[in-house]
Amino acid sequence: MEEQDKFCEYLSGVSPVWCPGCGNYGILSSLVEALGEIDLATKDIALISGIGCASRLPYFVKAYGFHGIHGRTLPIAQGVKVANPELTVVAVAGDGDGLAIGGGHLPHLARNNTDLTYLMFNNAIYGMTKGQFSPTTALSSITKTTPFGLFGEPTHPTALAIVYGATFVARGFSVKKEQLKDLIIQGIHHRGFSFIEILTSCSSFNTTDMNVARIIKRLEPVPASHNVEDKVEALRLATDEEKIYHGIFQRVERPTLEDRLQEVEKAAKKNGARQFEALLGQFQ
Amino acid sequence: MRHDLVIRVAGESGEGIITIGETIARIAAREGLSIVTFRTFPAEIKGGACMIQVRVSDGKISYHGEKIDFLVCLNQDALNENYGDLHELGALLCEAECDLPEEKSPRTVYRVPFERIAVREIGSRISKNIVVLGTLSQLLDIPVKSIEAFLAEKFAKKSKAILDHNIDALQRGIRFAREKLGGTSGFKYPSGKGDRRLLMTGNEAIALGAAGAGLKTFFGYPITPASEIMEWLAVHLPKMGGKVLQTEDEISAICAVAGASWAGAKAMTSTSGPGLSLMSETLGLLSMAEIPAVIVDSQRGGPSTGMPTKTEQSDLLLALYGSHGDSPRAVLAPTSVGDCFQLTGLAFDLAEKYQLPVIMLVDQALSARLETVDPELVKQPPAVTRLSVQPGADGGYVRYRLNESGISPVALPGTAGGEHMVTGMEHDELGNFACDEETHTAMTVKRYRKLQMIGNDPLTRGLSLHFGDEKAEIGIVTWGSTAGPAEDAVRLAASMGIAVQAIVPKILNPLPHEELKRFFARVKHIIVPELNFTGQLASLLRSTYRVPTISLTKIKGVPLEPSEIVDKIIEAQESLSVRSEKRYGRAG
Ligand SMILES: Cc1ncc(C[n+]2csc(CCOP(=O)(O)OP(=O)(O)O)c2C)c(N)n1
Ligand code: SF4
Ligand SMILES: [Mg+2]
Repeated sequence: MEEQDKFCEYLSGVSPVWCPGCGNYGILSSLVEALGEIDLATKDIALISGIGCASRLPYFVKAYGFHGIHGRTLPIAQGVKVANPELTVVAVAGDGDGLAIGGGHLPHLARNNTDLTYLMFNNAIYGMTKGQFSPTTALSSITKTTPFGLFGEPTHPTALAIVYGATFVARGFSVKKEQLKDLIIQGIHHRGFSFIEILTSCSSFNTTDMNVARIIKRLEPVPASHNVEDKVEALRLATDEEKIYHGIFQRVERPTLEDRLQEVEKAAKKNGARQFEALLGQFQ
Repeated sequence: MRHDLVIRVAGESGEGIITIGETIARIAAREGLSIVTFRTFPAEIKGGACMIQVRVSDGKISYHGEKIDFLVCLNQDALNENYGDLHELGALLCEAECDLPEEKSPRTVYRVPFERIAVREIGSRISKNIVVLGTLSQLLDIPVKSIEAFLAEKFAKKSKAILDHNIDALQRGIRFAREKLGGTSGFKYPSGKGDRRLLMTGNEAIALGAAGAGLKTFFGYPITPASEIMEWLAVHLPKMGGKVLQTEDEISAICAVAGASWAGAKAMTSTSGPGLSLMSETLGLLSMAEIPAVIVDSQRGGPSTGMPTKTEQSDLLLALYGSHGDSPRAVLAPTSVGDCFQLTGLAFDLAEKYQLPVIMLVDQALSARLETVDPELVKQPPAVTRLSVQPGADGGYVRYRLNESGISPVALPGTAGGEHMVTGMEHDELGNFACDEETHTAMTVKRYRKLQMIGNDPLTRGLSLHFGDEKAEIGIVTWGSTAGPAEDAVRLAASMGIAVQAIVPKILNPLPHEELKRFFARVKHIIVPELNFTGQLASLLRSTYRVPTISLTKIKGVPLEPSEIVDKIIEAQESLSVRSEKRYGRAG
């Protein structure tokens, strides 16, 4: 009971607007439990999202929330972190938001190693706009805009994050709430860019790709023997045709964007900090 | 009597042409003279024609000058290209072999084998520009000591041998002028009052203004002609504890600005038209979520990739309205380098005070223009910061409170009890999604009321430039860097006996309504000169005030010249004397 109360502290009181049976409910509960377990002060949490069903999440959590525009979740989150590194920044968006319209940002936050946790809700469909394919929808799927079958190959979010050099890459499943909570905790604790792909079902528009029973059948933890610094093996596991591995694929230490910006400041102040007046000399 | 001199140096990019112009400008600034420069950039990355024009004056100037008094051409192409702009009574200094056009009354020409002196006598082609500088300074009677002192500073970090080499080149140039060209020309460099002035470009002034206003985070994506703003800040802002990050595109840049500003840091980006187009969706987000942001657009020839190195004022309507829905933002338009500094400070103040995006519109010519600025104007202002609250741990904070002022106090992330949502969706006072008609109306009115308040704010009062004769029936309304040629045109017209008055608003959204209405009541004709095809300011004035306008537009990639404006003034004057029938706006 006490435990329960603690997690409730992280709920805003706004009722989620998701459809009954939507996988996102599971993610929300894993997230608030993770926040509770880390014992983060709600005032220090910044939840940034884009547009889509997934991106509605910040409304339901007690924190500082920013519901931005479609595809720009990561740039906004990066700005927040650069401005105030004290905040724990969690970015939340769907597969369309993060890999279609906003797909150009992922490699750059991974390169920068911006210290934030990115939860990509992968339901293999555009839920919010009611059922068009997303970059992760299976080949040949019949969706609202592919009545004769989808012809683009699906992308693998986790594999992309590995290749882009994200320093923490994991995959979870909305139904496996304990494991997901654990991944989120580790992601938040990781210093650097943490990417977590979360498989979740859209009960209204895609019950095939993320069909819970079918996923459960293929689901398997990342082998305990996996070396999280072995990129090639991580990639092999992430793209396995039969099994869907969940767990941590990649984890490496690298200076974060904030570390780098601090180094820049130190180098710039090598001869002492400058006030405004000191900048005028060059114009004389 | 005011003493003015217009010098232009033209040649091939990479020959050190710009250094010659900048050296003259720097020395003049130190002697308290006024400088306005204009330079063109070749479209090529390496090589190509380039020139710098420097107008030096012991009075106040705001334009780089139309006809050239003293032209320097380092090759035949430069001569062919620039000779037509030389004043009838002007003089030419050129490379010895250049051919001149046939003329009835030939102008003074000084021929110098610069190439030969540099290559044969000194043994280095790259010192050619210093030889030119020597000859030029001798002919114009610029104190050699100042030039030597300047070179000594410029090469302070290099070896003594390099400095000596340059001084030698300078002296050879001077000697040639003394021995072969008769020493001095009739043109004399004005002498200064000795009060040092600061010399900077528009882009530098913007960057400096931002640093002075307390900019903490800058995000940008490189683009001509705005890149220098980010480049300057990358070097200097970290010294003051600020952060600069080049992002993967302009959308990312402005979104990072949104995030950083929401988190409490003063944030800015700078770009040109193509970037502003990409940013337009986020401009709406900033309006809707009520987040302060400063966006600089250094306009270039458009549309699309257009003419990246050329100047134009064709983003006005994009700046005013670009983004879907009703998305209020303030728009400022500096007219000079001094303005670039001051209005950047104002942009931050307005953004912070009213929690909305502020766009600063400059253009390529102003961005790249080196101009003297009175050091008194370049002071760090007491900066405004946004109204914030400390709600206390028990919460109850309402982000978008509908209060009388329309400005809802902000709780910055990290503040206990201030947890809230900001959103680009229409929302109620708490930031929760709401799409009922009352809420959308109330919130839209709240957001637009800010523009009205900005218009009434003492911060924006008295911002417009006024010149000319207040009784004149011919009026000019213009904006941005076209203020310079307009001011000269008004003076030129006056010298021809035509009275003209001009107003140049430096805030274009909201427009200074009362001031403009008073102006329109005073004049019979309204000429609107600007650098775009459709007459964007003219159409804004027509639709806002229902006044007829005479649009004067130019899209040649270079500023308007005073004489072009004077031609329009003469037309208006003629129609006044003919007392023609009622004229309604002729959109050029
Ligand atoms: C610029 C822009 N284009 C299109 C849309 C419409 N839109 C809203 S959400 C969405 C896709 C959502 O899919 P996803 O990101 O996978 O999130 P989900 O709803 O599946 O959680 C689209 C296309 C928009 N809001 N903005
Ligand atoms: S449409 Fe799909 S993703 Fe969106 S709330 Fe409903 S079930 Fe969830
Ligand atoms: Mg989706």
